Amino acid sequence: METVAVIFGGKSAEHDISIITAISTIIKPLELTKKYNVLPVYITKSGEWYCDSKLKDIYNYTKKDISETLKKIKPITLDLNNGLTLIKTSKFGKSERIKVDVAFPSMHGTYGEDGTLMGVLEMANVPFIGCDTAASAVAMNKVLSKKVAESSGISVVNYHDFTKAEYLANPEEVVKAVAKKLKYPLFIKPAHLGSSIGISKAKDEVELKNAIEVAAFYDDLILVEEEVKNLVEVTLPIIGNDKLTPAFLEKPLTQAEDFFDFDTKYLRNGKNSAKSGAKGSQGYSEVPAKLEKKLYDEAVNVGLSVYKAIGLSGISRVDMLIDSKTNKIYFNEVNPLPGGLYIHNWIKSGISNAEMVDKLIELAKEKFNAKASVNTKFTTSYLRQF
Amino acid sequence: MKKLINSLLVFYSLRFSKTITYMLQVSEYKPGKYFKWFWTTDDFSKVITRQQLVNTPRSKTIMSGINFGIAIEILAGLVLIVLGFLNKLVGGIYFGFAVIIAYPIIWSQLIGFFVFFARILIINPDEKKKISNSKDIFSKTKAKKIAVLGSYGKTSMKELLSSVLSRSLNVVATPGNMNVAISHARFAAKLTGNEDVVIIEYGEGAPGDIAKFALNTKPDIAVITGLSPAHLDEYKTLEAAAKDIFSISKFVDDKNIYVNLDSKETNKYITKTQNGYSSEGALGYKVSDVNNSLSGISFTLTKGDKKLKVKSKLIGRHQIAPLSLVATLALNLGMKKEDVEKGLSETTAYEHRMKPRDLNGATIIDDTYNGNLEGVRAGTKLLKEVDARRKIYVTPGLVDQGSMNKIVHNEMGELIADAKPDIVVLMKNSVTNFIKEGLHKGEYKGELIVEEDPLHFYNNLASFTASGDVVLMQNDWTDIYK
Repeated sequence: METVAVIFGGKSAEHDISIITAISTIIKPLELTKKYNVLPVYITKSGEWYCDSKLKDIYNYTKKDISETLKKIKPITLDLNNGLTLIKTSKFGKSERIKVDVAFPSMHGTYGEDGTLMGVLEMANVPFIGCDTAASAVAMNKVLSKKVAESSGISVVNYHDFTKAEYLANPEEVVKAVAKKLKYPLFIKPAHLGSSIGISKAKDEVELKNAIEVAAFYDDLILVEEEVKNLVEVTLPIIGNDKLTPAFLEKPLTQAEDFFDFDTKYLRNGKNSAKSGAKGSQGYSEVPAKLEKKLYDEAVNVGLSVYKAIGLSGISRVDMLIDSKTNKIYFNEVNPLPGGLYIHNWIKSGISNAEMVDKLIELAKEKFNAKASVNTKFTTSYLRQF
Repeated sequence: MKKLINSLLVFYSLRFSKTITYMLQVSEYKPGKYFKWFWTTDDFSKVITRQQLVNTPRSKTIMSGINFGIAIEILAGLVLIVLGFLNKLVGGIYFGFAVIIAYPIIWSQLIGFFVFFARILIINPDEKKKISNSKDIFSKTKAKKIAVLGSYGKTSMKELLSSVLSRSLNVVATPGNMNVAISHARFAAKLTGNEDVVIIEYGEGAPGDIAKFALNTKPDIAVITGLSPAHLDEYKTLEAAAKDIFSISKFVDDKNIYVNLDSKETNKYITKTQNGYSSEGALGYKVSDVNNSLSGISFTLTKGDKKLKVKSKLIGRHQIAPLSLVATLALNLGMKKEDVEKGLSETTAYEHRMKPRDLNGATIIDDTYNGNLEGVRAGTKLLKEVDARRKIYVTPGLVDQGSMNKIVHNEMGELIADAKPDIVVLMKNSVTNFIKEGLHKGEYKGELIVEEDPLHFYNNLASFTASGDVVLMQNDWTDIYK
């Protein structure tokens, strides 16, 4: 039986969402397959790593303070030599080494989804689920991903970006530059955060300044975008490495003047909870999105093009904005580890949660084997000259 | 070792009396069943898993009795210890401790004997009296009394008869699966005398039961729904069960006995003067134009120039025979064709009996009350027939199969294999290997999952399925079975 380490939590604003994704949509389905020995690896908000079967129980996070459970467990250490090995130490000092066959990152946001964790796993030479370091880093940087998409001929909305340092050094200058380039209303976003954390809408200069301050609280790179008129938001979950499988194109059921902030996505089950539609991890949405076939197919193609342009692998979700009058499709952002794997959509598309985690492990191994076939050794006489 | 520690933690905690009372309740207060369960349990912390103790006057009395007895015993032990110390009697001190330590064993056994004697001295005489009174009520009623009996399909037949006949007649039927003599007696006490039809389900469990029920209820009509290995722990052989079921002919005229011929075994016992019904027709009516899907079944019944359109939300071809019988019997009882058709169209699957439900686009067919091989035959036939993205078959196996346990579960495995499900999920227990042997014999090629924790599987079913899947769940074991 292969050992799969599901890594979750972490030093991120999306720490709590990561726990739910890990326990309900990864660990439980993995166990249901009866194929894997599943290890829950929890990283605290301050960065300590723990591994214990108690960490699979959601009760320990929701009904109790997790720190109470952690007091009874010792943190683990990692051995990255020729694979990933977890070293657990018992209360009596006895250590146990557990070799990990596949790592399943379930971390949203910083230090996880942004490529940081993937770097560690690549160094350890262990197969892991999801995108590699470079693609994760691009995907999690809303500015960089737009630039990559633009360079591949994919439309994006007008935007402006700047660093927190630039803003703090000269706020008026930055606001003036934004006003010169873009038309209100605007959306202000921290460039690296997902789950809509820190996103605000601004209709004038005062709101813009406030919004920038909110975004700058979470990130050092800030993105300001123009609003899309006659907006239809759609999102496309995709799995695959070279051969891609899209799920259904999904339309969140929000009003044109609304946008999905954190509360809407995770705490209120969607603003229009009384309306019909699929209740997914992000509230109510229309799956598949009711668009005319040509537009639907075009949006799917844009999503697949973005996936390829950024070099994503394993699983991701591409968000797009459509002007319903002109039928123009804009790439908005990409999420290399969708919250809850967007499993509500995959289930509708005919892939169960248990099948999904199994497929993702297969994809991880496929990517790992393909990479292993690439030669990284090159012999030179460079050192002999010294 | 872990199991022993877990059990000791239960024995010496407040959970003890609850666990013992629960075991008695699930054993239907039958001391033999209870003792067997008690002495074959290796981990008492896992006893209450699938259900919970239901608070009834009887369970409350038993639990209070155990708690009171334990309190007295601990008190006696403490007195012995104190007296031992005061009188410097080491033996007395040891004996005191022994009395305290022994309370779980003493009370778990004593309570079984209390229940045994209470049954003989109080419950049985009381029930006997009620049953005797019911004889008079059943004799005096002017209603047509229909007895529904057989190894399977009784509750469904009863519900079907009830819902169709009640379109034009005043019909009452024994509730739920209350199908033994004392339930019949309680049911009789509620009859008003104004009923046109009284339907009584016979839940045979041991030789002689059918004669006992028939003597009390005096049926005019009998419907034998089928024969299959069931309750063989008591009957020992299928032949003995068949003999008991067909003993109804001593109490009902053969021309008023209707036998389901779709059940292979009944063909061996039906007499020429009894009436057969099957998926080919009933009472001279022939079945044609069958349309079967997960949303229901429809067909036409024809006899000469008489035609009846049958449409029901019940699923599976095995429903054709009972639907045909009920339709034609209703006509024979003087119901109008339109009323019969309307009544049939309103029939729908009963709880836990081939009842389909939607789970995020997957169809879950809940047949968890099915506990016999004929039900498995019907279910696997349906699974084989339907279109699905994936077909998933889930079962723990059947219970009370006595000496035929291995043969029945081997056949069950073969039936499952024949339906070619993509995944078979077996709940791990004493019959799992027999089903696996049958799957192997049937050259099953799909995925086999053996689940050790049924609750974990059922609770996470949504993670296991996706849109387009069809999951057939047949039977479910209570905590008493292992």
